[in-house]
Amino acid sequence: MSATFLLRRIAYLALTALLVSLIVFSVTQLLPANAATMILGEYATDEALTALNAKLGLDDPALVQYGRWLGGVLQGDFGTSLRTGQPVGPTILDALGRSAILAVFSLLLVCVIAIPLGVIAGSRRGGPADLGLSVVSYLGVSLPEFVLATLLLAWLAGPAIGMFPASGYTPFSEDFGDALHHIALPVITLTIILIAHISRMVRSEMVDTLQSDFVRAARLRGLSKRQVIYGHALRNSMLPAITVIALDVGYLIGGVIVVEEVFAFPGIGRQLILAIQNRDLPMLQAGALIMALTYALANLMADLAYAALDKRIQFK
Amino acid sequence: MTSPFNRRGFLKATAAGATLATMPGLVQMAQAQNIQPGGTLRLALNITPSVLNPMLSRLNSEYLLGELLYSGLTVLAPDMSAQPDLATEWSANEDATEWRFTLRENAVFSNGQPVTSADVAASFAKLLDPATAAPGSRNLGPISEVVADGDFAVIIRTASPYADLPVALTYPTAKILPASIVEGDFDSLMQTPVGSGPFRMAEYRPDDVAIVERNPDYFIEGQPYLDRVEVKSFPDAAGAAAAMLAGEVDILTEIQPTDYARIADSDGVTGLRSPSGRFLDVVMDCTVEPFNNPKVREALSYCVDREAMVELVAEGYGTPGNDSPVNSAYRYNDDAPLKSYDPERAKTLLAEAGYPDGIEIELIASTRPGYRSAMAVVLREMARPGGFDISVQTMDHPSYLDQVWKKGKFYVGFYNMQPTEGTIFNLLFTSGANWNETRWNNAEFDQLVLEADQTTDEATRADLYAQAQKLMRDEVPALVPCFFDLLGAQADYVENYVQNPRGANYALHTVALAADAPTR
Repeated sequence: MSATFLLRRIAYLALTALLVSLIVFSVTQLLPANAATMILGEYATDEALTALNAKLGLDDPALVQYGRWLGGVLQGDFGTSLRTGQPVGPTILDALGRSAILAVFSLLLVCVIAIPLGVIAGSRRGGPADLGLSVVSYLGVSLPEFVLATLLLAWLAGPAIGMFPASGYTPFSEDFGDALHHIALPVITLTIILIAHISRMVRSEMVDTLQSDFVRAARLRGLSKRQVIYGHALRNSMLPAITVIALDVGYLIGGVIVVEEVFAFPGIGRQLILAIQNRDLPMLQAGALIMALTYALANLMADLAYAALDKRIQFK
Repeated sequence: MTSPFNRRGFLKATAAGATLATMPGLVQMAQAQNIQPGGTLRLALNITPSVLNPMLSRLNSEYLLGELLYSGLTVLAPDMSAQPDLATEWSANEDATEWRFTLRENAVFSNGQPVTSADVAASFAKLLDPATAAPGSRNLGPISEVVADGDFAVIIRTASPYADLPVALTYPTAKILPASIVEGDFDSLMQTPVGSGPFRMAEYRPDDVAIVERNPDYFIEGQPYLDRVEVKSFPDAAGAAAAMLAGEVDILTEIQPTDYARIADSDGVTGLRSPSGRFLDVVMDCTVEPFNNPKVREALSYCVDREAMVELVAEGYGTPGNDSPVNSAYRYNDDAPLKSYDPERAKTLLAEAGYPDGIEIELIASTRPGYRSAMAVVLREMARPGGFDISVQTMDHPSYLDQVWKKGKFYVGFYNMQPTEGTIFNLLFTSGANWNETRWNNAEFDQLVLEADQTTDEATRADLYAQAQKLMRDEVPALVPCFFDLLGAQADYVENYVQNPRGANYALHTVALAADAPTR
């Protein structure tokens, strides 16, 4: 891998970010109602609406507004939320931090559970373990997250069992146990969904790899089945799984919107929903940027991991 | 429909409470017997507060925070009367154009500065400045001037006589802020509250929780009783309801009619229900076809089975409307007999209006709150036998606000109760109304409302408001098929929480927790 490769990828990242911001901005211009209309709601008088539009700078031409926003971002200033009057940068970073907590816990759980599951199912193809995994992962893939989240909510947080709090969030710095308690349900939901993705990918790759010549050769050399599976086959089966995991990182940051909404978890997804509902452009732009960059970065990481796992892959 | 609640008994009880409040010694004696100060109250909102600056707030959830952290001159009691807040007493000149409000001398802002008449004058100047774009600033009455009269009194002058001024000043955005901040860094109030309310902000995580703690310098001795209040935001009513049932919150300020029975029936929870002036109306633009013909509007008003509307749209938790925005939750309601459901008469009227074959028309309803479209659909079915072929178009709320509200010719509106009859009439139905969406522009109605605004005599006002309501029933600028009760719930160990039918006042400084509360 060369330095020019890295530089080129980073330039692509910047271009992606710029395009995303331009697209998001253009789309919001087409939506009915702007932030001033949403802020005043059914309390708007014509004078108040005019005054608020002027105050928020929403009466300037769209290009001027975009230029002003871009100028601020280049200087590290993401502006002020039109909805809450709070600075966007710290707000969105806090939200991102909270979403990252969900993401890290879920990913760790998924890797620890899904990869061994996939290996077991793949190496004992057709056995009861494989069958069980198929059923569970079909459920995971086919259940939309809002259904799963709502089911878990009604079951485990309902008045009958009441094992977990229904919603909300406690910072880890405040009360570690309570914080774990609060993230349990969202993390379980995300983990179940992602286990399905990853274990199925690992399983099918494992099946392919185990039929290849080098595995047979290794067995014939006298290596134990266990050594072959974990020492040789798994490493080769992991490549596609890494792509899936990378995409799932993006999903975890962006796609948890639904899960965060159901559990009232104040992460970036929920922040984005509120921003869209209220036409809070600076917040929406910052949120969309972060999500796009997370996807792009996760993919870059996956490419780098490819190179590390398979020496034949060269990036130039 | 039989209601388990007796409104008159409720009003009597709260009126007695209001009388007691003017005798602080007695109140404290009564309270010393059974109130134990302390504890944390947890309260759930299903609409997240976004705006911390009390002058710019516009949602009930934001009014709640404003009331915890700030004070106004007067505060609204559950019987819609004005009670002392920062002002302890007030009086008007003969024709109600000049008022003098005496201020408490022991109120201090959370930055340590005393609350004086200069702060009141500066706050009103800011509130009434069009550049502030304060929502609801026109609900305060025709205020022309607010000037200090010594350190602890203010004179408020109005452009025309206005008998309801003390009640109008209870408007939730009319909070008193330090003059230094109002004239200086006003925008800082979006992040850092500085008020003289019963509580002070301890922690604020937008869209998650606001935690306030007892203000030790609060101007009412011994209050608030609670040490702490946690105001938790939930993304929707279902989340808030689940938290209530799981014992994670102690009060739900609002419950959807569809959820009420389930929550009120669960163990350890008491349902709260008060008749309110909150209503859905069907707005008709009186200047365009077919609604410029009064007979068409009258015909439609005979196509509404009002009792059934209460059952179908408000799940029974409401009161029937009579095409006026005033009901029994207000002080001057004329209690006229309900209009009957008479589709045959509607047909005849339509024929007389030149529509012998009926009318085809589109009715627009926003998706928020959900019962807007429910009412539209029910009306479609009720009006069909009367010759109205209504097609219902639902619309997302932003599009509705942008394109239909105040502009469309036939749509479902939704309004909260106002503290006075005059406020709601002047907001929606007089020719000069802020939101004159019906464009009814009836000079006789304007005159009646104006005269009622200007007179202080109770009997005359009752008569004028009765005439105004009759005029609306006859001319029907909008259908008001039903009013919605204010529905809430509390844990059994919460004491002294009284619903205010207006839905924008909470009086949490008088709330306490019983000894068996888990958060003491």
